[in-house]
Amino acid sequence: MTANLVNVIMGGVFHAAILFLVAAGLQLVFGVQKIFNLACGSFYALGAYSGISAVSYFTGHGGSPALFIVPLALGGLAVGLVGLVVERGLLRFVYDRDETFQLLLTFALVLMLEDVIRLTWGTAPASTGGLYLAYGQARILGSTVPVYNLIVIAASVAIALGMSYLLGRTAFGRIIRAAADNREMAEALGVDMRSVYARVFTLGTMLGTLGGALVIPATAAMSEMGVELIVEAFAVVVIGGLGSMRGAFVGALVVGVLRSIAISVYPELEMLLIYLIVIAVLLWRPRGLFGAAAA
Amino acid sequence: MILEAQDLRQRYGAYVALDGISLTIRENEFVSIIGPNGAGKSTLINVLTGALPPTEGRVRFKGRDIGGIGPVALTRLGMARSFQLVQIFPDLTVLETLEAAVVSRLGRGLRLFASLRGDRAMRAEALEVAELFGLATRAHVPARVLPQGDKKLLDVASAFTLRPEIILLDEPTSGVSTADKHAVMEILVAAARRIGLRSIIQVEHDMDIVFGYSDRIIALHQGRVLADATPDAIRADARVVDTVIGRGAR
Amino acid sequence: MNSPVKPALILAAVGAAVILVPLAAPPYYVTLMLPFMAYGVVLLGFNLLFGYTGLVSFGHALFIGIGAYTGAVLTTRFGIRHMEVILLAAAVAAAVAAAPVGALCVRYVKIYFGMLTLAFGMVFYTFLLKFYRLTGGDEGMRMLRPYLLGSEWAGFNKTAYLVGPYYYFSLAVLVVATLLMWRIVSSPFGLCLRTIRDNPLKAESLGIGVSRYRWHAFMISAVYAAVGGALLAPPIGNVDPTLVYWTHSGNVVFMVLLGGFASFFGPLLGAFVFIFLQDTVMSVFPYWRLVFGAVLAFLVICAPGGLMGLFARRPVPLEPERG
Repeated sequence: MTANLVNVIMGGVFHAAILFLVAAGLQLVFGVQKIFNLACGSFYALGAYSGISAVSYFTGHGGSPALFIVPLALGGLAVGLVGLVVERGLLRFVYDRDETFQLLLTFALVLMLEDVIRLTWGTAPASTGGLYLAYGQARILGSTVPVYNLIVIAASVAIALGMSYLLGRTAFGRIIRAAADNREMAEALGVDMRSVYARVFTLGTMLGTLGGALVIPATAAMSEMGVELIVEAFAVVVIGGLGSMRGAFVGALVVGVLRSIAISVYPELEMLLIYLIVIAVLLWRPRGLFGAAAA
Repeated sequence: MILEAQDLRQRYGAYVALDGISLTIRENEFVSIIGPNGAGKSTLINVLTGALPPTEGRVRFKGRDIGGIGPVALTRLGMARSFQLVQIFPDLTVLETLEAAVVSRLGRGLRLFASLRGDRAMRAEALEVAELFGLATRAHVPARVLPQGDKKLLDVASAFTLRPEIILLDEPTSGVSTADKHAVMEILVAAARRIGLRSIIQVEHDMDIVFGYSDRIIALHQGRVLADATPDAIRADARVVDTVIGRGAR
Repeated sequence: MNSPVKPALILAAVGAAVILVPLAAPPYYVTLMLPFMAYGVVLLGFNLLFGYTGLVSFGHALFIGIGAYTGAVLTTRFGIRHMEVILLAAAVAAAVAAAPVGALCVRYVKIYFGMLTLAFGMVFYTFLLKFYRLTGGDEGMRMLRPYLLGSEWAGFNKTAYLVGPYYYFSLAVLVVATLLMWRIVSSPFGLCLRTIRDNPLKAESLGIGVSRYRWHAFMISAVYAAVGGALLAPPIGNVDPTLVYWTHSGNVVFMVLLGGFASFFGPLLGAFVFIFLQDTVMSVFPYWRLVFGAVLAFLVICAPGGLMGLFARRPVPLEPERG
């Protein structure tokens, strides 16, 4: 009984770790640029497929399977640089436009990325095969948990701490928070917004692609994973509060664990429960747990 | 028909915006509210127009408590307002703006299938108001394109179209050049008389305008009523002169 | 030439063309007109909410799905085959669903409204997908050929039925829907909606209750979406949850933007171009989303007024022309 519960919770925490990465990217972009990036799920998918390719290349050229997490993560991070191209090439034209149009532009990205992925990797699901258990399993409170999951959870927590440090104690972090708070003022104080926006969006994208890469050993990469994830990521940021890093962390935990529990108890419920919570949050406390005052 | 405020207090956390304001507006009065920035004028307007419920105290219009009832209910009762920062409908023409006010007043907003164009009576009424405010020649111009002064007039004109019994004008001549201010006020007063408006309350900074048109002046300072009297009495009141008017004014 | 003659001529020409299509064009293209007409109805309603009231719903597919599933449920579970009844039932079902959903959503604006509607749409999607005993799950439900004007048109095979009676029936529904919507936007109600779109604060100060009017607009747009959704189903013969997925809602917004949301006929143009462009692209190149994504990006950045915005030197007005 405990074993089952531990299994469910650990599974939920693993999923939360991945969700956090994507949501953190989403929050960063929303906080600074006030754009809700519908394509964050697509970047996640991009990271997943890239990660698989990187791993295949690595192992195909004699790389040791035990080190597979390295090319996986690097592949995910590297493809995140495409965020820079997207920001400079497309997004920067709509910063002064109505929110609706910004949202629609990110939707255009969703469409384009979906087919770019199909073009590059085809429509068949891809995976890293048995590498998931390359690090063995651990026994925790009577149940077995893949060590890989623990590694990812640890990495995600490390990144959360890293983000916290970045935002709280570095100059760049101060600039980000200033820009998020009051763009005009930050510009008046000499901050080069173009550069900030480019870097923030790229960082946000890289978090998302990394998340996609890291989830892969546990699931297969499929062409719909992008459009499916956005709704979960969206639930995370609504519950946590738009623009808040802490919100991304707590929201991810809530969504990840609840979903896991829901699946084990009553599979039909799964996302239904999450959406109902989202609706409830939007109605009673639109700013979520940690967000700023809502519109 | 009276607008009455009793001991209004408004707090934003620790900050006290209104500190016990009582006033009465009677029929056929033109009352100006003056005061330096931070005196609580904006808060007072929002409370008087039912947009903000007072932390303490009461606002009554025609005997009814209107604390926080909101602008829509307020217009039904017969009070309207214009805004300090001009508020218009950018993509609607002058005529459409006024017609919208007529539609609202007549309660025809939910007529889904009636033809707007076909309603000559509404069109005529809107044109009449436009003429009163000197906007008739620009009847079909989208509001967004109008010069600032005309936008201000349109903001006020649309409020007048509701045929309220009492109207609250928030700095009606702000943004208008000094040369035109009197012209604007003359238009307002003439229009008010024409449509049977009973009382006007205005918040104003321009002392010429204030003294030129008011029956009574209420001076606010730090959330309280400093003085509430006729223009002559106010002119003679040293406290008001010092804090609000300034010694240089006539 | 801004006289009323030119638009009327164009309209007449288009009208004549549409009526003659089944007689002149190959059946394949005629059947392509069917989703165009269905989406035309959907978009007319959607633009009441978007172009006229200023609200962007990212969950409109919810109501399209309600309409489509109403048809499927009525024909397969209740043996009700009359299309007129189906359309009416779809409208009622949409109104019933839109009343509470709308009441909750219209108090929020912009991104929060978009998010709420997206969430509601996905709730319905999940329901359709998971409760497969009721809804057929991911395989969906069949929709049987509906009776038009009381007749099953049994002598017509599927194609003949679609390019003949069903085509003209859909056209009639579209025409009625268009006339009705024209009346609505030219009415005092339509004027009030535009005040809310332009400046909710000022609208309220004029006694126009913003939430109340938005709610009515939401209800009307939901009914239109369901009627369009019901029309969508018979040619396909099957309804499934993908009709309700959030990307389908996104496509609806795309279509309106494509045609031009600031014009009355823009949405219809958008539906037409979207359907036919999609078909053209798909026959040449399987990656139509890439092309469409690029088109949407182009629209947002360079031509937010859509096709109508590009064509008209002076934008075609939302409201009836004044002399």
